[in-house]
Amino acid sequence: MAPLLELHGVSKSFGGLRVIQGLDLTVEEGEIVSLIGPNGAGKTTVFNLVTGVYAPDEGTIRLAGEDIVGLPPHRIATMGAARTFQSIRLFLNMSVRENVMVAGYGRTQTRPWQAVLRTRGARAEEAEEQRLAEELLSFFGKRLAGFRLEQPAYSLSYANRRRLEIARAMATKPRVLLLDEPAAGMNPHETHEITELTARLRDEGGFTIVVIEHDMHVVEGVSDRVVALDHGTVIAEGSFEQVATHPAVIEAYLGKGAATTK
Amino acid sequence: MDFFVQQLVNGLTLGSLYALLALGYSIVYGVLGLLNFAQGEVYMVGAFIGFGVLSGLGGPTALVMPVPFALLLMFTAAALGSGVLSVTIERVAFKPLRDSSRIAPLITALGVSVFLQNAVLLLLGPDIRNYDASSFIPFTSGIHAGPLNVSLIRIIVIVTTVAVMIALTLWVGRSKLGRSMRAVSYDREAAQMIGVDVDRTIMIAFFVGGVLAGIAGVMAGLVFSRVFQLMGFVAGLKAFTGAVIGGIGSIPGAMLGGMLVGLAESFTAAYISSTFQNVIVFAVLVVMMVVRPTGLLGRPAVSKV
Amino acid sequence: MSIGSDRWVETAESRTEGPRGWWGQGMRHWNSLPPLGRLGILVAVAALVPLVVSSDFLVRVGVNGMLLALLAVGLNVSVGWAGLLDLGFVAFYGFGAYTFALLSSDQLGIHLPTLLAVPIVILATGLLGLVLGLPSWRLSGDYLAIVTLFFSQIFLELTLNFDRLGVDLTGGPNGISGVDSFSFLGFEFSSSTSYFYLLLVLIALIVTMLYLVDRSRTGRAWRALRDDPLAAEIMTVPIRRLKLMAFATGAAVAGLAGSVFASFQLGVYPLNFQIQFLIVIYAALILGGSGSLAGAVAGGIVVTLVLDLLRDPAQASAAFYGLIAVTLIAKVRPWRTLAAVVGATVALGFVVHVVVGAIWPDAVAGEVEATGVFGSAIQSWVVLPEDPTTIGNWAFCALVLGVIALTRVSARTRTILLVPLLYLAAFVWENRLVDEPSITRQLLLGVLLIVMMISRPHGLLGTRRVERV
Repeated sequence: MAPLLELHGVSKSFGGLRVIQGLDLTVEEGEIVSLIGPNGAGKTTVFNLVTGVYAPDEGTIRLAGEDIVGLPPHRIATMGAARTFQSIRLFLNMSVRENVMVAGYGRTQTRPWQAVLRTRGARAEEAEEQRLAEELLSFFGKRLAGFRLEQPAYSLSYANRRRLEIARAMATKPRVLLLDEPAAGMNPHETHEITELTARLRDEGGFTIVVIEHDMHVVEGVSDRVVALDHGTVIAEGSFEQVATHPAVIEAYLGKGAATTK
Repeated sequence: MDFFVQQLVNGLTLGSLYALLALGYSIVYGVLGLLNFAQGEVYMVGAFIGFGVLSGLGGPTALVMPVPFALLLMFTAAALGSGVLSVTIERVAFKPLRDSSRIAPLITALGVSVFLQNAVLLLLGPDIRNYDASSFIPFTSGIHAGPLNVSLIRIIVIVTTVAVMIALTLWVGRSKLGRSMRAVSYDREAAQMIGVDVDRTIMIAFFVGGVLAGIAGVMAGLVFSRVFQLMGFVAGLKAFTGAVIGGIGSIPGAMLGGMLVGLAESFTAAYISSTFQNVIVFAVLVVMMVVRPTGLLGRPAVSKV
Repeated sequence: MSIGSDRWVETAESRTEGPRGWWGQGMRHWNSLPPLGRLGILVAVAALVPLVVSSDFLVRVGVNGMLLALLAVGLNVSVGWAGLLDLGFVAFYGFGAYTFALLSSDQLGIHLPTLLAVPIVILATGLLGLVLGLPSWRLSGDYLAIVTLFFSQIFLELTLNFDRLGVDLTGGPNGISGVDSFSFLGFEFSSSTSYFYLLLVLIALIVTMLYLVDRSRTGRAWRALRDDPLAAEIMTVPIRRLKLMAFATGAAVAGLAGSVFASFQLGVYPLNFQIQFLIVIYAALILGGSGSLAGAVAGGIVVTLVLDLLRDPAQASAAFYGLIAVTLIAKVRPWRTLAAVVGATVALGFVVHVVVGAIWPDAVAGEVEATGVFGSAIQSWVVLPEDPTTIGNWAFCALVLGVIALTRVSARTRTILLVPLLYLAAFVWENRLVDEPSITRQLLLGVLLIVMMISRPHGLLGTRRVERV
């Protein structure tokens, strides 16, 4: 079976700075892959390339077998790649419910004239989207349910914002979910929750997940496979133990000489 | 051939005006990310101040002091007056909006623009003022060699503009203040954190923009003679586009852009149609802005996603 | 508030309960009605206006108010909902008006029936909106604003000068006159009252349609586009298409308004569509509340009322003093301070008047525009020189500087400074501004835009917005 997500020989430069260099990455359906590496390694850039924010200078990117290089981001999102952002990018002035519902745009059909005439199809679709939004938000328990649904996103707590962003990404009904540092800024309790949540997303939701994370506890707890990046290329790949003890990885994080002392 | 050279000179003169204004736009936009709509009105006020000084000194036909001194006084008064006006506008209308949306300061600037135009109308009446510069700087003086027929007035304008450009480039490139302005234009927060007085830097940027507009205003009076309350609007539009075409944030870019717009206008009016000169120039400017928004000499901004 | 608790949750109760008292109760009852019901009530109330009001002038003001409201509603789609600053909007209005004029006058000899002409105009203007919206694919914010501004300038120049191209399409500076008035279903719209009701129906219709669109996925997509275009695109929203839709919708509404305007005025002239009017439309939307349909309508009506009232000096004075009173009441607290300020101002005025009158009798010989009891009170309170122009100008400058100073000083100094400033304002008003209504209107608009954006950017009926840092 073809991998769900494939990157081959991808390179990307910004001005004179080469950020990604000859990158190869595959993600199989149903996997949880963690992307680790020191800051500046190019991890978020990989997400940006996959979601179409940037186009690679070289190389190919395939989603479910289809070439997605050069497609606009909204097309790629409807084809099945959704993400969250390192610095949260919610629609601050929209309510919790609306944030989730708007991500369903690519899946839905209602045209403005149908909305104006309140056709049966339009009303049914709207009701279904509302129901779906509530269902997705209930993934997080009571936190984003009930009266919270109407709460404007700008008044949410930090942890709730991260959760909402994940719910919003889920609303696109993606095949692969790209989570960019979902546990950043969380306390240990919340971090543990995120770890469990990620596993639940795969088990109950059926999503394939790629996670960028710095917190090694999360990486250890969640990953089927770990890919380590440095200076825009893959330096190690494998299980958590294999990658964590790999000399190139230790050197990337802790500098030369640290590998020998470990 | 004579005609062509004449249009070239006209274009360069007009372009000098636009270049100075464009520079003002560019500096403010570079430092604050704000399109200062009111800049055109500051230019208009500068022209009126120059006229006021001219009248105070006896008027175009009966100057009480030698012409060079009179000119110096006019330029200085207009530069200072416009500079102060520009800073006042910044303090009152733009500073409170520094952290709000992109749209808010634009609308406020529209409001300031309208207010200034009508305040001048109220205070000074609708009559057109005339510098009548040929009365004290005769057309016959200047360079008259072969096809080249450049009156002294135009020489003054072009030379002053070039001098100002050079001075500004040196100042921004070398001085501490210039460095502060560039720092603030790259990243305001970071600049603040390394100790740059952002407030003062912004204020000075506006002051410089105002000074440039004031000088341009007096030049407009000298070259075109007519000074009226609506003169800032269209000139401001064209100058801003010149700044964008040349590349926002770049001093040579503003000069280049301003000159290009001036030349385009001059040649369009002469060779294609003077009725539709504005339409054609505007259309060309729209195309340029859409095709190359970063301008000819500007750097494409890379923002981190 | 305890640590760790959520402010929004804690205030939830106060939000649902709302302010107490009859105002709060009334608002709650009002908000509990379905939106259609609220609209119906407002329409019914508005429908009574021509029956109650006696002068045709006031009905015409109503027509103008509703035209402006319709335009503000159209502008709201691009600016308020999609976040695209369209400074060329007035060109859509003009295009709609001119197109209707071309289809219903002797200019081209075409006199299409209204029910054919108007849809054509709407469609054509909508298409123009699509085309002029294309730059929004590459440009945003200020750059887009400038380009759209150029479009409106191009439009203006073309309508002024088209006849020089050989074909007299637009009538040049004289415009096109002799435009047919609306007529359909056997009814000819010839009176102001008929246009009043027509516009009332049109506004109700358009507002309802846009409300339904706003609540649908399109509305959500527009708002997401406004909040964060990149995130929206990554979340499946095709932002280019939605930008064009916003432009086209706003343009179509403007085109409709243009056709009504052309037939109401029985002609179209280039001067109707200058940037001065664009600023009026923006003022209406900003004042009412960008992003809110009710706000757009309210803003349109209020701005028209204020501007048209300013034409008549007596009414203008009433509006001026009324506005000052309202601002004072809203801004100066507690009541004691307010009373002190007002009292001191009045006292100061009388003292100054008496003193000045004793020294220079000429200085108080002028006349006041307002009539009646209020007028005579003003007469003996404000210093009115025989020839007010020069000193009025100086006073105006002093007033502007004084208001600027007001924003910079401490609260205590501000209260004290307010007293002479209020008197100065009355002085400037009576001596200069009242005599120049068109300039005063523009000054007021400019100040309105500045003050609104600084103190209440969400307008009267809009909701506060948070911007992404």
